[in-house]
Amino acid sequence: MIDLSIGRDLETWLDQVRRLGRDYLRPLGIEADRRHEPVPPDHPFFALAWRMGLGQPLGVEERSASGPRNGARRGVVVAEEMSYWDRGMSVAMPGLGLGGPPLLTMGTPEQKERFLAPFRDREQPHWAAFGMTEPGAGSDVAAIQTTARRDGDGWVLNGAKTFISNSMRADWIVVWATVDRAAGRAGHRAFIVERGTPGLEDMRYEHKMGLIAYESSSFTLRDCRVPVANLLGGERYYAERAGFKGAMKSFNATRPAIAAMAVGIARAAYDAARDFARAHYALDRPTPRYQRVREKLARMARKIEGGRLLCWRAAYLADVEQPNEIEASMAKAFAAGMAQEATGLAVEILGDAGVTADAYVEKLYRDVKAMDIVEGTGQIQRLVIARRLVGLPG
Amino acid sequence: MFTLALSDEERLIQETARRFARDRLLPGLRAHERARGVPPEVVREFAGLGLAGGEDLGAFVRALVLEELAAVDPGAALALDAPGLAQPLLDAAGLGAAAGRGVVIEDVEGRFHARDGRLAGEHPWVPADAIAVTAVLHPGCAFVVCEGWRLTPIAACGLEAAGASRLLLDDAPIAATLEDPRALARARAGIRTAVGALLVGAARGAHEYAMRYATERTAFGRPIAHHQALAFLIADLATAVDVARLAVWRAAAALDRGESGEWEAASALAEAAEQALLVGPSAVQILGGHGFMKDHPVEKWMRDIRTLASLAGGRDEAELAAAALAPEHEMGFARGR
Ligand SMILES: Cc1cc2nc3c(=O)[nH]c(=O)nc-3n(C[C@H](O)[C@H](O)[C@H](O)COP(=O)(O)OP(=O)(O)OC[C@H]3O[C@@H](n4cnc5c(N)ncnc54)[C@H](O)[C@@H]3O)c2cc1C
Repeated sequence: MIDLSIGRDLETWLDQVRRLGRDYLRPLGIEADRRHEPVPPDHPFFALAWRMGLGQPLGVEERSASGPRNGARRGVVVAEEMSYWDRGMSVAMPGLGLGGPPLLTMGTPEQKERFLAPFRDREQPHWAAFGMTEPGAGSDVAAIQTTARRDGDGWVLNGAKTFISNSMRADWIVVWATVDRAAGRAGHRAFIVERGTPGLEDMRYEHKMGLIAYESSSFTLRDCRVPVANLLGGERYYAERAGFKGAMKSFNATRPAIAAMAVGIARAAYDAARDFARAHYALDRPTPRYQRVREKLARMARKIEGGRLLCWRAAYLADVEQPNEIEASMAKAFAAGMAQEATGLAVEILGDAGVTADAYVEKLYRDVKAMDIVEGTGQIQRLVIARRLVGLPG
Repeated sequence: MFTLALSDEERLIQETARRFARDRLLPGLRAHERARGVPPEVVREFAGLGLAGGEDLGAFVRALVLEELAAVDPGAALALDAPGLAQPLLDAAGLGAAAGRGVVIEDVEGRFHARDGRLAGEHPWVPADAIAVTAVLHPGCAFVVCEGWRLTPIAACGLEAAGASRLLLDDAPIAATLEDPRALARARAGIRTAVGALLVGAARGAHEYAMRYATERTAFGRPIAHHQALAFLIADLATAVDVARLAVWRAAAALDRGESGEWEAASALAEAAEQALLVGPSAVQILGGHGFMKDHPVEKWMRDIRTLASLAGGRDEAELAAAALAPEHEMGFARGR
């Protein structure tokens, strides 16, 4: 029979996340939202969290040599709990972020050693970033225009990236470029571009509707020269035409965790709406409006738990090393959709108070929208599922 | 750490039920509808597998079996399940296994009245032509009667293979009254979980059939499944079936752990009903005009789903039950949950 208990180890860990969430993640996330400014990298909280061994939750670990794996399952639970407190802050946290999966899955041993080294220093917080999206290419990843040209003992990058999370504060950014625009995915190469590399220019904030606590930035690569050693995976890797597959593999590993973040935001909306309803409404009175409130709460809870189950299934499959592409996309598509509905219902449950900034739920409604966009939009998830189920071409 | 794996034994049972449904129910799909029942030899054969509702299988295994049967024919699933939905109440009342079909009525309109150890009332539809036990549920109690009814055959929207009748209880002697709130809650949860499993099965059957059809039928020069409007719909329906199944599994697992399962089962039925009611008509839509015709079974699954979602209080009562519990419901990772 299936077993849905999370186990003692994780419970202990969650106590820590919960305290961190209550004391820091949520208050800081709300403050950033009010001020319309990301939490700066030198904020003392980041150093504190980093020293505690806490960072961005993404459910991707370096493979342990033996024993049962549970990294993906830990990942979805921790991602949900952190996003419950504040999704923006959970991304703002120091760590490898989306830069982790490509380094860990594609990187050579030397590259891992070199680029993970700063992250072993627990005194100073460190960040990494993942730069794929361009002004002209988001979902259509194969259409990226940033070029990479081999020149002597290095590569020269030219192009522009946009909406890249934490890239301003990152030690390094995994930048995707093409050696041959006509070759599509086969032409893709991933480079580690380190902070301060000449030609990494025009770093600027993008102003977002929600998730203000972390910065999204755009930048330009102008004759940006990186050493050969920074080609992720080395030449051999691409000889096997695995360039694009590498990127996709990282998405598979992170999708269940991103879905779990949507679950976490929705759960926060549920708790806020339920607590408000209990405090302000006489729910036991046979008032039609209160019956509606109870029904909406029940629907939210049911959908949130459904989303969680889909995340857990995808993560479980990842841990037992079974294919989970369909399941990961189902979790992402469903959770992002249901979380939008749930946060919307929370706004409604509060009535007119729900749209005011100090009610908190309207922030969740703004924050959650991104979950249906990042890491493959809802439409792209459906493409992935349909490709597998009915052989949809493309 | 949580796991979603089935045990070897569960997998074997699932496979057995799947094979039985494919070999013994599928060929007779329309014949069973017309006959308002499954041939006695098929009933006997199923009983021989030891998977019918009277057996002490646990809620989880029961959910696996019911899904497999319903993926082919939910009406036949009810017919084969014998006391089926009524069994959790018989168990709670200590009455043991019923001698034949059992039906469950959630008396939402207050049509049934108990007086001097007898029960009287009328219900417009039960999915059976002959029964051995009737259970009538009220908010605070449940009555079990084993004789004293009149059944008038009627035509129903779906589930024809189970039969369909109007039921009249004419001062029927009450065999057992169940008042213990916890026992009642668990019995109700068992019933809702089973109906949820039937809905999941029917939805899965409809989805799989429509999906296969969509890869074979062409329009505008390609398989219709390769038009994005249908491809996305097919992806959403697959997700709908899966999320409903996971909800049913969760409820069944809670019951088998000895919990009341009240919230989980009410949510599971509500979710399964909502998702199946999306899948049924959508499957017909995927087949277009062919879906509307009886040459394909999708129209049947659509009708069956509509009918199933009204069973035992159906979606409304499940949603109301969940709504009553919602203000106290906790979803955080509290210790011990
Ligand atoms: C908060 C935030 C953080 C982000 N962080 C990062 C980051 O760290 N690194 C990074 O590289 N990127 C990041 N992104 C970018 C993100 O990955 C892209 O925005 C996303 O992939 C969508 O691309 P797009 O915005 O160009 O939309 P488009 O690709 O232009 O899509 C527009 C619409 O068309 C739909 N569409 C596109 N193709 C199809 C199709 N074939 N079939 C049907 N519909 C289709 C889409 O679903 C969408 O609805 C971030 C974005 C946000 C909002």
